[in-house]
Amino acid sequence: MTHPELNAAREGLYRLLSRLYRQEVDAPLLERLRGMTFPQTCPQPELEAGYRALERWLSAGTEDALDALAVDFARVFLGAGSAEGCAAFPYESVYTSPKRLVMQDAWERVKSLYAAHGVRIDTDSSELMEDHIAYELAYMALLCREGAERAEQRAFLEEHLLTWVPDFCADLQRCAGTGFYRCVAQLTLGWLKLEEGLLQAEENAPSPFSCRVSTPALDRILEALGKEYRIYAPKRFPGRGARAGSDLVRYAPIRSAAEIVTDAPSDFSAKEIFYPVNQTMLYFQDDACRESVLSDQREILIFARPCDINAVRRLDQIFLGNGGEQDVYYRRLREKVRFLLLECGGGWDTCFCVSMGSNRTEDYSLALRLEEGGALVQVKDPAFAPYFEGADACAYTPGFVEENRRAARLPVIPDRETLKTASGLDFWKQYDERCIGCGGCNTVCPTCSCFDTVDVIYNETSRDGERRRVWSSCMLRDFTATAGGHRARSTPGANMRFKVLHKVYDYKARFGGEEHMCVGCGRCDRRCPKDISFYDAVCGFTQALEQEAEHK
Amino acid sequence: MNNIMLPAPHKILKVVKETRAEYTFRVAYEGETRHGQFFQLSIPKVGEAPISVSGKGEGWVEFTIRKVGRLTEGIFGLGAGDLLFMRGPYGNSFPVEEFEGKDLVVICGGTGMAPVKTLLNHFYDHPEVCRSVHLIAGFKDLDCVLFTEELEKFKGRFHTVATLDTMQAPGFQTGMVTAHIPAIPFARFADYNVVIVGPPVMMHFAALACRSAGVPEEKIWVSFERKMSCAVGKCGHCKINETYVCLEGPVFNYTKAKDLFD
Repeated sequence: MTHPELNAAREGLYRLLSRLYRQEVDAPLLERLRGMTFPQTCPQPELEAGYRALERWLSAGTEDALDALAVDFARVFLGAGSAEGCAAFPYESVYTSPKRLVMQDAWERVKSLYAAHGVRIDTDSSELMEDHIAYELAYMALLCREGAERAEQRAFLEEHLLTWVPDFCADLQRCAGTGFYRCVAQLTLGWLKLEEGLLQAEENAPSPFSCRVSTPALDRILEALGKEYRIYAPKRFPGRGARAGSDLVRYAPIRSAAEIVTDAPSDFSAKEIFYPVNQTMLYFQDDACRESVLSDQREILIFARPCDINAVRRLDQIFLGNGGEQDVYYRRLREKVRFLLLECGGGWDTCFCVSMGSNRTEDYSLALRLEEGGALVQVKDPAFAPYFEGADACAYTPGFVEENRRAARLPVIPDRETLKTASGLDFWKQYDERCIGCGGCNTVCPTCSCFDTVDVIYNETSRDGERRRVWSSCMLRDFTATAGGHRARSTPGANMRFKVLHKVYDYKARFGGEEHMCVGCGRCDRRCPKDISFYDAVCGFTQALEQEAEHK
Repeated sequence: MNNIMLPAPHKILKVVKETRAEYTFRVAYEGETRHGQFFQLSIPKVGEAPISVSGKGEGWVEFTIRKVGRLTEGIFGLGAGDLLFMRGPYGNSFPVEEFEGKDLVVICGGTGMAPVKTLLNHFYDHPEVCRSVHLIAGFKDLDCVLFTEELEKFKGRFHTVATLDTMQAPGFQTGMVTAHIPAIPFARFADYNVVIVGPPVMMHFAALACRSAGVPEEKIWVSFERKMSCAVGKCGHCKINETYVCLEGPVFNYTKAKDLFD
């Protein structure tokens, strides 16, 4: 499991537990629980036992389960009608203050911690206080979601949750009238113990180390890695370039270090490895259709520069984030990918990664500087450490490009009125003449994600066939054409405006943050058969917009 | 993991020929749909496209499809008993609760009547939750008139203007829908909403005509028809500025719609 996936899974469980303590179980939640598949094996015995017990309880399911749970919830957590004092009050204060009262020191500390993190809890509407277990679990979920420093996560776990939840869970085990809440207690305790171990192990993990390897040694390592992984890098294809007599450099499987091209930019990006140009989505057979399967289950290693690694986060945003649902076809390949950072020696004339803030990255397992006779390597992911055992240690950390030969000026669009002005500029009309709508710019772009679906028939006389998806391009004439023939954008100039705004305005406006859709790799500038420069379009558009503002 | 792109087979129950070029397909479907939503319809071996729900009832939904393009051609070969692959429903819907207890004006052009028809039927079936409905339904010519029976039905309860762009025919007025907007008594309404659905140019001018008649922007609702390959925010075709029509639309209040620049 990669970091983002692990964090998402952890967040999910924290959220579920938080929900279970916040309110009574209602019908939709019970339905959801019944539909869940719990991990089949689990390294933590309490958690394992909790899962199995919960499965049994859920499958036994009685008619009046909801009522019984509601009664138990009120009795155990709210102390309703419990004369014997058998209740488990889910507040840290209760378990950590001498007189077992709510709103004591722990409550104050948790409150200020939330405030420092910008989290405000509307206690009026919820009637729960900030140190309620539901909120503390939700706070951990938030830390997971934000990918907060492990030290911060561990601190909250150890200084708050673990100081009292084990006692609380013991009370809950003892007092709960339903098997369900006894399972919840088991699950909570097991999960927190597992978390403690996980976070500790990560902190104790060996820190990155660096070494020097000779080319033959690197080749041996690549050979060893090749048994487990598919390894891709920019590779040269002589005479196959777009222009007569030129070479093509594109991502392809490699077996040795000599095949990795570092002296020229790659014409195509790495995206085709995990987002293929043409991909079968499903098969139709008679009256059913089924999802295609991946034939190669091996993990994937990709040698990539910072701009290209950063570009993948944009693709992730669209395929895994936008709309709230994940794209199965993208995810099943993407989750196999790990990056091997190729230190970028300075780039080329067409680069402007620094302007786009995509010149640096931390998302890599190994970093390499390929040199005459060998390579300097930083091993960041401990999973790769064994491959470099015995190599000569050295002090290497990858350098990043801090200045390009050109710097893009990006448009400032503070409001809708300016966007309207930007859309209406005469500037775009020049592309009506110049652009031929071939879509080459989109094809080489590392962040372009648009696609079409196409159904393919095997045989005119049967129903058998498949649905494929193929890259599409917003510069194509019919990108917006509906079945009726209407095109929302009908000129190359309008398409160019759409693309430029998508790359340097829309994406950021939609998703927030600091990132644009363009990473400044310059491939589209090199690719265009009409020598249209995207960089010039961005800068020229920015200037035209400023001039228009002055006129007004 | 749930595959959001995987369609499921549904049985076609009935096919109604509306015009020479437009058929309505009734398809078995158990589930809720809201007024203005759409499905991704596919015919194996041909392709997939977003189609609005034009009618619904117990255990079925209807789609009215125009014979244009490769996809819709493939559908026209199907009949009752055949299977149609589809996934959905997708998109937001008209805010019916907001329309209730007020006057409603519906202006539609051509196949634009399909996405508003379930909405019209809702108020036809529940006259008690609506003060009045004014319907302007425009068609190119007599051959293009859709939902003839239901138009007649609506005439019985709604203030209905059925109009043909340039042609004269009994039961129809002549002229673009915009020509009939000044006759709507907006000033007499205490509170009201206006729904405009049709080809982009028609929606543009109908909205302007409403604005000239004094209709505030926030009372106008439109629904966009866009090319879509996925309907779940991935394929990029329906994007306008930072808005994905499949996710945030297809229904937009005019205050938002007027600010989307293609």
